[in-house]
Amino acid sequence: MTPLPDLTLVVLVFASLAAATAVFGIGPFALGRGVPLDHIGLANAVAAGMMLGAAYGLLVVGLGLGKTAVAAGAALGIMFVVGTHTASGTEDLDLNRLDDRTDAYGYQVLLVNSLHSASEGVAIGAAMAVSRPFGVFMALAIAVHNIPEATVLCAILTGRGVGVVHAAGLAVAANVSQILLAVVAYAIIAAAPGSLPWALGFAVGALIQLTMSELLPESYRQTGHRSIALATVVAMGIVVFMRGFAA
Amino acid sequence: MTPALTVFLYGLMTAVATGLGALPFLFLRRISPRAVASANAIAGGLMLGASFGILAEGTTYGAWQTLMGGLLGVVFILGTQRWLGDHDTALGEVGGGDKRRMFLIVIVMTVHSFAEGVAVGVSFGGGASLALAITLAIAVHNVPEGLAISAVLRPRGKTVLACAGWSIFSSLPQPLMAVPAFLFVDTFRQALPYGLGFAAGAMVFMVLEELLPEAYDQARRPLVAIQVSLTLVGMVLFQQYL
Repeated sequence: MTPLPDLTLVVLVFASLAAATAVFGIGPFALGRGVPLDHIGLANAVAAGMMLGAAYGLLVVGLGLGKTAVAAGAALGIMFVVGTHTASGTEDLDLNRLDDRTDAYGYQVLLVNSLHSASEGVAIGAAMAVSRPFGVFMALAIAVHNIPEATVLCAILTGRGVGVVHAAGLAVAANVSQILLAVVAYAIIAAAPGSLPWALGFAVGALIQLTMSELLPESYRQTGHRSIALATVVAMGIVVFMRGFAA
Repeated sequence: MTPALTVFLYGLMTAVATGLGALPFLFLRRISPRAVASANAIAGGLMLGASFGILAEGTTYGAWQTLMGGLLGVVFILGTQRWLGDHDTALGEVGGGDKRRMFLIVIVMTVHSFAEGVAVGVSFGGGASLALAITLAIAVHNVPEGLAISAVLRPRGKTVLACAGWSIFSSLPQPLMAVPAFLFVDTFRQALPYGLGFAAGAMVFMVLEELLPEAYDQARRPLVAIQVSLTLVGMVLFQQYL
């Protein structure tokens, strides 16, 4: 295997960019408008579809490198998400309790968002180790998907009386783990190239499990099944389609 | 035997194999709401995994065509639902829609077999020397698809035999489409990405609109999620190893 070109800086820049785009999630609130519950459902559905599309892209690339390692990595990714959810007591947490003002809920929401971003960081780092265009594609897909996610977070935060600017800052801060994990994942793969299919598999398992346990279940309760399914399938289709130009 | 007849018979064998997917339900006596949720989650994971594989194949033939096919697949499901006289399954709907789900899964899986049949015929077009290997691979690959169908039909009161019957029925388009695709490879190769995209779009949309919401209604969220994730990844790998 040829040694990887050193893209650590590229990873850092693009992962930071992806984390920073969360600031746009504040859009509807900055315009002085609230976001109704059914729109939060749709925002979650768009984020879910993009996650599935990203997982698809990582899986296709990973299977070309090593099937068994991808399978084992995916199992680890699923276990990581299940484990962190269980350990933090957030496995049934709803991200739509706009009227829940308890401190515990506030902490849990921020914690869930930070853990969620960590897995996405692995996706960016692993994708960059595959190739620069694929890494940039993955970072951009995660960046766009961070916007509806931040909108959901900001709806909860502003509902708790947090100011708009402060909420935007927290939304970006919750994504800092994404930058960290992207750089760490890339560094590990650069040092031990054999770990690449493992890392890709890990990202696949984690993204799918996050989609299925966090994003989709509550979407269904906020908006009609059909709108959720449409938003998800279209978002997924676009990411699947775009991947063709990056791999 | 003419090559076309060989392709048809091999295709028929793969269709019959789909019926094997109903077998696990022989050993499942009582069907609780949680088992229904699991069945929905597993069927959903299997279909999402199958779609991933189909998308990977379709996009190698043409990304635009696959995307267009996918949109048509979604529109097709919306049209079928309208034709079935649906009411938007809004929040908190209980029961209801069982017949519609059974009908939809059979339709969706049958339609997806058309695209698979074309894919089989086109790959046979390369020469019949690998025919037996390909047939065996597809036959095994069809079993979880029969499982997906049975997982939707069985908890809603169909007998195991009926589940096997409908599973085989859903795969019949495979031999039927494989033959013309084999005989007119070049024509069908062009249509293939549309067909594969169509199949993936229809399956993903059906999973998202019908199977997952029902699963989340009847079982705890982490349980449903882990079942979907594991079957999805398992299905993709299962197809890869064949």
